[in-house]
Amino acid sequence: MMPDANGIALEARDLRKAFGGVHAVDGCSFAVPRGKICGLIGPNGSGKTTTFNLLTGLAQPDGGQVLHDGVDIAGLKPYRIFRRGITRTFQITRVFREMTVLENMLSVTGLAVPDRVARERAGELIALVNLTHLRGEYGGRLSYGQQKLLEFARALMTDPDVILLDEPAAGVNRTLLQQLLEQIHRLQETGKTILIVEHDMNVIMNHCERIFVMDYGVKIAEGPPSEIQGNERVIEAYFGRRQSGVVHAG
Amino acid sequence: MTQREHLRNLALLGLLALGLLALPQGLSVYLTSFALFTMMYVVLALSWNIISGFTGYTSFGHVAFYGIGAYACAILVVDHGWSWVTTLFAGALVAGLVAVAIGYPVLRLKGPYFAIAMLGMAEGTRVVATVWDGLTHGGLGISFPSVENSTSTYYAMLVLMLITIAVAYLVAHSRFGIRLNAIREDEVAAEALGINVTRYKLLAFVLSAVFPAAAGGIQAYKVLYIEPQAVFFVQITIAMALMSMLGGKGTVIGPVIGAVLLYTAQELTWVNFPTAHLIAYGLFIIVVARFMPRGLIGFAIDRGWVRKGMVH
Ligand SMILES: Nc1ncnc2c1ncn2[C@@H]1O[C@H](COP(=O)(O)OP(=O)(O)O)[C@@H](O)[C@H]1O
Ligand SMILES: [Mg+2]
Repeated sequence: MMPDANGIALEARDLRKAFGGVHAVDGCSFAVPRGKICGLIGPNGSGKTTTFNLLTGLAQPDGGQVLHDGVDIAGLKPYRIFRRGITRTFQITRVFREMTVLENMLSVTGLAVPDRVARERAGELIALVNLTHLRGEYGGRLSYGQQKLLEFARALMTDPDVILLDEPAAGVNRTLLQQLLEQIHRLQETGKTILIVEHDMNVIMNHCERIFVMDYGVKIAEGPPSEIQGNERVIEAYFGRRQSGVVHAG
Repeated sequence: MTQREHLRNLALLGLLALGLLALPQGLSVYLTSFALFTMMYVVLALSWNIISGFTGYTSFGHVAFYGIGAYACAILVVDHGWSWVTTLFAGALVAGLVAVAIGYPVLRLKGPYFAIAMLGMAEGTRVVATVWDGLTHGGLGISFPSVENSTSTYYAMLVLMLITIAVAYLVAHSRFGIRLNAIREDEVAAEALGINVTRYKLLAFVLSAVFPAAAGGIQAYKVLYIEPQAVFFVQITIAMALMSMLGGKGTVIGPVIGAVLLYTAQELTWVNFPTAHLIAYGLFIIVVARFMPRGLIGFAIDRGWVRKGMVH
């Protein structure tokens, strides 16, 4: 059963985006229920990152709508979408390389608080991802996993409403990944909506309540993990034509 | 940076101000004038650094703002009888408005395209100053009536330099400055983190335009003669960039150190070896680019002598 409209935080309606002849997102629709952790999966090149770009204004859709709290935000500038409380991390990290960890945190806008409060908040979030010892180090000097964690912490500076994570687990070691997942659950408990793109099926199957599966730019399946694991179209998308991923519960 | 470090830096700036206030008493006219031009280059390098060092938009045409300020001073004093100090504000205002008008389209360009567009815009202002006879007296330039000005212009430049240092310092250590850095590092990510990049870049550009305009005005009144070739001289832009890069662009102290060192070096070689001066300049650029790509401050940071970042 679909949750009712009031319970939807972010919705894609018939989103389309082509790059030349490549239809990266080709009429994709899904609705992310408020206050839940959801997964967006699909083989490489199925359009997940492009969908994130369309949801956050980094790419302009060729067609379709993006509804946040029922308002169409498709095509708005990224900073406007961010200020509505939608934030994200990047698949290939985009930390500010010649700025310190602390400066990376403080660069975020939309925080109508005095400098001192912003610093306190930055300090707490840095501690949350175990980067306190590196707060004065340049972002570019961190390991890839640490950069992922810094991006995650940075995305939380403004206390956002919807959080989009593009492959947050890639390159993060097991211990830190466990902590990251705990943080994600804690965020959910405070009412945040979280959408995760991830190739690590353990993360997806064990932590998401609802999963959207994309292939060739469209949603081919949707449901709770138990349904997705047995879904034939999903298995075909992963095994049938490509060998790029494996769906199994961990 | 901690409260204590800010206070220490304020005290240092105060000491510098006191020393420079007393300076003309003990110095010859030549050395006073040398000090004035050194301070002028501090202003120019620090201003260039706001848009090009903090924000990452390398400008090859910043002399345009300096020239606009020089012309505002000369035209208003000579043709309209304004007091020269008032014209400095007028020049800064005009330069700020020009920065908004051209910044809006030009700041959409990236990297070398922005640099070249600025070069073109500086050439454009020079041509306008040359052909718009009615306003600028054309290529013949404008002469001021002779006055005694060495002390007044010295103090004006001192005040302007202190203001510029203070503003650059406040920008560098604020969240505004951090966001300019974010734009420099990755404009897409900056916008995805809520930064209205168009507005921030424009603000940085305007800030980087007003102080050079005031400096140009003081310089005009100091020399008492201006002409297009001299005040829209491309080498002044190159000096701003080199000084910032030598000291360490993207920092506050870097451009100050770079301006003092390079202007002093230039003056010494110029006086002693007029022809070798440009060759020495060129060699110097090569050495800095090869061995200290991030300037003296970057060199010190890499060795752990100076802490990373502006905010601690
Ligand atoms: N900026 C771009 N220019 C051209 N093609 C792109 C661009 N971004 C993505 N694509 C193409 O769109 C398709 C979907 O890519 P992407 O959204 O990154 O997939 P995923 O994140 O699911 O791996 C791929 O075929 C990719 O090559
Ligand atoms: Mg992707």
